[in-house]
Amino acid sequence: MARAGGGGGGGGITNAVNVGIAVQADWENREFISHISLNIRRLFDFLIQFESTTKSKLSSLNLKLDTLERRLQLLELQVSTATANPSLFTSTTTTSA
Amino acid sequence: MAVPVEEAIAALSTFSLEDEQAEVQGAGVLVSSERGATNSPIEYGDVSAYRLSLSEDTKALNQLNALIQEGKEMASVLYTYRSCVKALPQLPESMKHSQADLYLETYQVLDMEMSRLREIQRWQASAASKLAADMQRFSRPERRINGPTITHLWSMLKLLDVLVQLDHLKNAKASIPNDFSWYKRTFTQVSVQWQDIDSMREELDDLQIFLSTRWAILLNLHVEMFRVNNVEDILQVLIVFAVESLELDFALLFPERHILLRVLPVLVVLATSSEKDSESLYKRVKINRLINIFKNDPVIPAFPDLHLSPAAILKELSSYFQRFSAQTRLLTLPAPHELPPRDAQDYQRHYLIINHIGTIRAEHDDFTIRFASSLNQLLLLKSIDGADVDWCKEVKGNMYDMVVEGFQLLSRWTARIWEQCAWKFSRPCKEAIPSESNGSAESLFDYEKVVRYNYNAEERKALVELVSYIKSVGSLMHRCDTLVVDALWETIHAEVQDFVQNTLATMLRTTFRKKKDQSRILSDMRTLSADWMANTSKPESDLQSHGGDESKGNFFYPRPVAPTATQVHCLQFLIYEVVSGGNHRKPGGLFGNSGSEIPVSDLKQLESFFYKLSFFLHILDYSATVATLTDLGFLWFREFYLESSRVIQFPIECSLPWMLVDHVLESQNAGLLESVLMPFDIYNDSAQQALAALRQRFLYDEIEAEVDHCFDLFVSKLSEIIFTFYKSWAASELLDPSFLFALDNGEKYYVQPMRFTALFKMTRVKLLGRNIDLRSLISERMNKVFRDNIEFLFDRFESQDLCAVVELEKLLEILKHAHGLLSKDLSIDSFSLILNEMQENLSLVSFSSRLATQIWSEMQSDFLPNFVLCNTTQRFVRSSRVPLVPVQKPSVPHAKDNFYCGTQELNSAHQSFARLHSGFFGIPHMFSVVRLLGSRSLPWLIRALLDHISNKVTTLEPMTTGLQAALPKSIGLLPFDDGVTGCMRVVKENLNWGTKSELKAKVLRGIKEIGSVLYWMGLLDIVLREVDTMHFMQTAPWLGLFPGEDGQILHTQDGGDSPVVNLFKSATAAIVSNPGCPNPTSFYTMSKQAEAADLLYKANMNAGSVLEYALAFTSAALDKYCNKWSAAPKTGFIDITTSKDFYRIYSGLQIGHLEDSVQVSSNNFEILGDSVAWGGCTIIYLLGQQMHFELFDFSYQVLNVAEVEAGLLSQAHKNPHVAQGWETLLEAMKKARRLNNHVFSMLKARCPLEDKIACAIKQSGAPLHRIKFENTVSAFETLPQKGA
Repeated sequence: MARAGGGGGGGGITNAVNVGIAVQADWENREFISHISLNIRRLFDFLIQFESTTKSKLSSLNLKLDTLERRLQLLELQVSTATANPSLFTSTTTTSA
Repeated sequence: MAVPVEEAIAALSTFSLEDEQAEVQGAGVLVSSERGATNSPIEYGDVSAYRLSLSEDTKALNQLNALIQEGKEMASVLYTYRSCVKALPQLPESMKHSQADLYLETYQVLDMEMSRLREIQRWQASAASKLAADMQRFSRPERRINGPTITHLWSMLKLLDVLVQLDHLKNAKASIPNDFSWYKRTFTQVSVQWQDIDSMREELDDLQIFLSTRWAILLNLHVEMFRVNNVEDILQVLIVFAVESLELDFALLFPERHILLRVLPVLVVLATSSEKDSESLYKRVKINRLINIFKNDPVIPAFPDLHLSPAAILKELSSYFQRFSAQTRLLTLPAPHELPPRDAQDYQRHYLIINHIGTIRAEHDDFTIRFASSLNQLLLLKSIDGADVDWCKEVKGNMYDMVVEGFQLLSRWTARIWEQCAWKFSRPCKEAIPSESNGSAESLFDYEKVVRYNYNAEERKALVELVSYIKSVGSLMHRCDTLVVDALWETIHAEVQDFVQNTLATMLRTTFRKKKDQSRILSDMRTLSADWMANTSKPESDLQSHGGDESKGNFFYPRPVAPTATQVHCLQFLIYEVVSGGNHRKPGGLFGNSGSEIPVSDLKQLESFFYKLSFFLHILDYSATVATLTDLGFLWFREFYLESSRVIQFPIECSLPWMLVDHVLESQNAGLLESVLMPFDIYNDSAQQALAALRQRFLYDEIEAEVDHCFDLFVSKLSEIIFTFYKSWAASELLDPSFLFALDNGEKYYVQPMRFTALFKMTRVKLLGRNIDLRSLISERMNKVFRDNIEFLFDRFESQDLCAVVELEKLLEILKHAHGLLSKDLSIDSFSLILNEMQENLSLVSFSSRLATQIWSEMQSDFLPNFVLCNTTQRFVRSSRVPLVPVQKPSVPHAKDNFYCGTQELNSAHQSFARLHSGFFGIPHMFSVVRLLGSRSLPWLIRALLDHISNKVTTLEPMTTGLQAALPKSIGLLPFDDGVTGCMRVVKENLNWGTKSELKAKVLRGIKEIGSVLYWMGLLDIVLREVDTMHFMQTAPWLGLFPGEDGQILHTQDGGDSPVVNLFKSATAAIVSNPGCPNPTSFYTMSKQAEAADLLYKANMNAGSVLEYALAFTSAALDKYCNKWSAAPKTGFIDITTSKDFYRIYSGLQIGHLEDSVQVSSNNFEILGDSVAWGGCTIIYLLGQQMHFELFDFSYQVLNVAEVEAGLLSQAHKNPHVAQGWETLLEAMKKARRLNNHVFSMLKARCPLEDKIACAIKQSGAPLHRIKFENTVSAFETLPQKGA
C-alpha cells in the first residue's frame, strides 16, 4: 500500500493484530534458535581452546622428550665406548691413580 | 529440552584447560565469517512480514548492497593492479623476425588485464545509472513509495563512497594508462590482419577516454543524476544526515566515519552544481559546519597507502563543476601540503599518537580492569541460582556498557592509527637521510620517506604500544564472546522492550494523543517489536511485580534474544518518519529543533533510541565488530608506492610491521618486550585481507615470504638478545659487589632487568594460520649458542699461552652462571653435558680432553722451554729472551661481546681482572687448571708430565756421558793460596768442557725442564691439598670425622653410622611410622643412598700427594742410570779428585752457569731461572749425592775460599783489591747455595731418604703408597727398580 503526501508519511501496518501475534511467536522461536546456536558456539569455543591447550601441553612433552632423547644418545655413546673396551672394566688390578 | 544442552555445555567447563602461555598476541582465531547483523544475512527478506509497504525500498536497498559488494571487488582489483608492461620481454636483435608473434602474445596477455578494466568501466556506468535512478525514485516530494529508510540512506552513501574511491584510485594509479597505451599499440600491430575492428577500436577509444580522464566516474555519475533534475533533495538529506552523524559522533565506528568524511565533499560538490537551488543547501546546513568538518580532518584514509584530502578534492573538482567554483569559502581551504606551518603543527599534534599515548594508556588500564571486573560479576551471577532480578539486570547492563565502551575505544584507537598513517603519507620526511644509510637522498624510495624515516623512535614505541593495546583489548573481548553474548542480548532486548512498552506508551498517552498519524506510527513500532509475553515464563514473580502502578511502566523479563536486523531497520525507519513528519525538505536536521510539534524531551528520547538502535547492530555482530576494529592489516599494504617506485617489492626494513618488531628488539625496552609479537598480528591481518578482501594470491605469497624471513630474523635477534642479557647478568653478578659499591661509576656494570618469561612460554605463536613453537626454537638456539660459545673460548685459549687459563676459567664460569640463570626459565641441555661434549670427552674410557690435551701440548711446546721459574714469587714467567723454541699459534679468534661477558663495560671489567694473571703462571693458574680439568683429566695430565720427566732423563743420559768424557781426569780441591781469583783460574782451566759448550747448554735446559715439571707438580700439590682440605671440611661433619692430634683422622662413633646416615635413617623411620605416608619406598631409597654417599666420600678421604708420587717416579726413572751417574768408589773411600758422578757434572755446570750469568748482565738467568736448581738438586738428592755435592761443589768451595779471604782481609784492615771484581759472582753463588739448600730441605721433608716410608712403583706404573723400607745408606737404592 502506498500513501502519498499527507502529514502521516510512513506505511501503517495493515493487519496489526496478526502481525503482533506473529511477532510474538517469532520472539519465542528465536529464543529457542539463539539458545541452540549459542550453545553450539560455546561448544566450538571449547573445542578451540581444548585444541590449543592440548597443543601446548604436547609441546611441553615434546620438549622434555627432546631433552631425554639427547641424554639417551649421550648415554648410549658412553656405553658403546665402554663395551668397545671391555678389558678396562674386567680387570680389577689395573686401576690408575 | 533446552536444559540438557546447557548442562552439557556447562559440564565442559569442568575440563581443566589451563594454559601457561601468556596472552601476548592478538586473537588469531575467527570462526565466524558469515554476514553479520549490520547487513542483514537474509537481505531483509523478512521486512515484508511487518507489512510496512517497504518492498520497493527493500528491493532498491538490496540492489545497492549488491553494487557495493561488486564495487569493493572492483576497487581491490584496481588497487592491487600491477603493471604488466614492466614484465614484458624485449626481443633480441636476432629474433626480430618473430616480433609479430610477440605482439600477439603480448596482446593476449594484456587483453586479459584490460578486460578487467573494461569490466570496471562498464560496472561504474551501470552503478552510476542505478544509483541515480534510485535517488530519483526515492526523492521527494514526488514520492509515491515508502522510503528511503535510514539503511537505504546508508547504502547510498556507501555506494557513493565506493565510486569515489574507485575514481580516486584510477587517478592515482599511473600504471594503468601506461599498460593501456602498450595494449593499444599491440592492438594496432595485431589487428592489421583482422577484419571488422571498428567496434573494437571504438570500445578501445572509450576505455582510453575513461582511463585518461580524471574523475571520469564522478563526472559520469553527475550526468546520470541530473538527467532528471530532482535529486537535490535527497542529496541534501544525505548531507544533513552525514553532517549530523559526524557532529554527534556517537554511534559511528571509524569505518563509517571515514565513509562519511570521504563522501561529504563529493556530496557538497554534487549538491551545489545543479542549475537551481544551489544555495538552498546552505540554508539547511550552515557552510561553517561543513568547513569545520573539513578542517577537522584534512586527511582521510582511503586505502592503506592512499589518502584523500577534502580540500584537495574540492579544489580539483571545482574545475569540472563550474557552479561549484563560486564557493570560494570552501575552495580556500588549504590542502595538507599547503598548510601554513602553524596549522600544520597543530594538526601534527592532533595526528601523532605520541601526543595521546598517555591518555590512551590510562584509558586502556582503566578499561581492562573494569571490563574484567564486570566479567567476573557476570561469571559470579551465572554460578548463583535464583539471583535477585535487579542485581541480575544491573550486572548484565554493566557488561553491556563495558562492551559499548570497548568498541568505542577500539574504534578510536584504530582510527588514530589509520589517521596517523594518512597524515604521515601526506607529509614525507624532508630531512637528509639518517647516517646509517650511505646512499644519497635520490636513491631513497618515496615509501622510505613516508614510512621508514618518517617514524622516529618515540613514534615507533607509541605505535607498538597502541597496537598492543588494540590487540590485547581485542583478544580480551574476543575471548569472552560466548560468555557475554546472552547478557548482551538480554540487555538489548530489555532496552528495546522498555522503549516500546514503556516510553512509547507514555508518549502515546501524552504527546501524541491527538495526532492520529503519528500515534499510528508509534503503535506500529510497538506492534513490530514488542515482546508482550516475555514475562510469562516466570509466572511466580510475575504476580509481585504486576501489582503495578502504571507510572512505573510495564514490568517484563528480558529474554536473551536480540531484535533482528529487520526489526531495527523498521524501527529506525519509523522513528525517522515520526520525527520528520514524512517531510524530508523540512529545514534543519533530523532531530534538530525543527519547530515541529513534538516536545524537546520526547524528541531527545527518540533521538537517543534512534542512535542506540544503529549501535545494537554492531553489538549483535560482536566478533565481526571486534575483528573489524582490531584489523591493522593496512599497515603492511603499499601497492600505490610500489607502483610509483617502480620496484617489485620494498626491503623489509621499509615494512612497518617489521620496523616495529625491530624497534622493540633494538630498544631493549623491558616494558615493550612482551609486545614484541603484537606486530606479527599485523601480518596476520594483512594476510587475511589479501586473501579475503583483496582476493589476491600473489599478495598473500609476498606477505608469507616476508613473514618467513622476518620471523627467522626475529628469532635469531631475540636469541641474541636473550643470550647477551643472561650473559651480562651473570657477568655482573660475578663482579665483587663490595668493589662495585665503592666504585663511582658502578652502575654501568649493573644490568637492566628484562623479563623473557612470557616469551619463553610461547608454545604456539599464531602466524598466518600456523602455530609456531617459539619456546622450542629459542631453546634450540640457546643449546647451540652455548656450544658455540664454549667452542670459541677453547679456540681463544688455544691461540694464547698457558697463562690465559685463568681468563678461560673465569669466562667459563660466567657462561655457566648464565646457563644456570637461563635454565631457571627455559629448559636447555645441562651445562656439564654441553661442556663435556665440547671437551670431547664423552667417552667413558678416555681421560684426556680437549682442554687437557691443549694444556699438555702447550706445556710441552711453549711453557717448559720458554718459561722461567722465580722461586721467591712461586711464579713462572716467560723468558724475556728470544724464545728458544719458536711457537706457532693460530690467531686469536674474534667474537661479539656476548661471547665474552655480554656488554663492553663488563668485558673491560673482567678483562682488567684477567690481565692481572696474563703475565705469569702461578697458584691462581693452578687452581684454574685443577678446576677446569677436574678429577677426570688431571691424572692424565700428571701421567703425561711424568713421562716427560722420564724422557728427559733418558735424553740427558748420553749428553751427560759426553760431558763426563770432557772432564779432566782429576780435579783437586780448589787451593786457598790465591784467594777467589786463584780458584776461578783453576776452575777455568779445568772446566772449559772443550768443545762441548753446545752440549752443556742442552744439558742445562734438560735439567731446567725437569726442575720446572717438578716445581709445577709442587704447585699442583699445594692446590690439590687446599681443594681436598676444603672438601674434607665440608664433608667431615656429615661423615662424623674429625682430625686427631697428629694429623690422623678420627671417627666420632666407633663402628656406628655416620651422622648423615643416622639422619636419613631416623627421618625415614619417623616418616614411615606415620600412617599417612603415601610412598615409604622412596624414603627407604633415600636412606640407602645416604649410606652409599657415606661410603663414597669416605673412600675419597686419603688422597696421596702428587709431589711425592712425582718424586718417587723420578727416582724410579733415574734407577737405570744409577751406576753411570753414581759410581761406587773402588777404594771404599770418598772419591774426591777423579769422581765423575752426576753431582760433579752438575757442579761444573752450575759454576759455569753462574759465571755466565754474572758476566753478560744477567741474561742466562732469564733463560734458565730457578728451575735448574730444582732439577739438578732433585736428581742429586735422588741419586743420594747431596752430601758429596755440598762438600765438593766448586762454587761452594769458592765461597769457602772467599770467606777465609774476607776473614784475612778484615784482619789486615785494608787491601780491598784482592776480592774485587768477584762480588757479584760471589753474591750469585751465595744465592745459588741458598736456593739449593731450600730445595734439599724441601726434598728431605717430602721425600726423606732415611728410614723411608716411600711409594713403590710397580712395573705397570701403579704406585703402592707408603711401603716401609728399612733404613739404609741410601733409601733410593732400596726402591724396587723399574724393570727389575
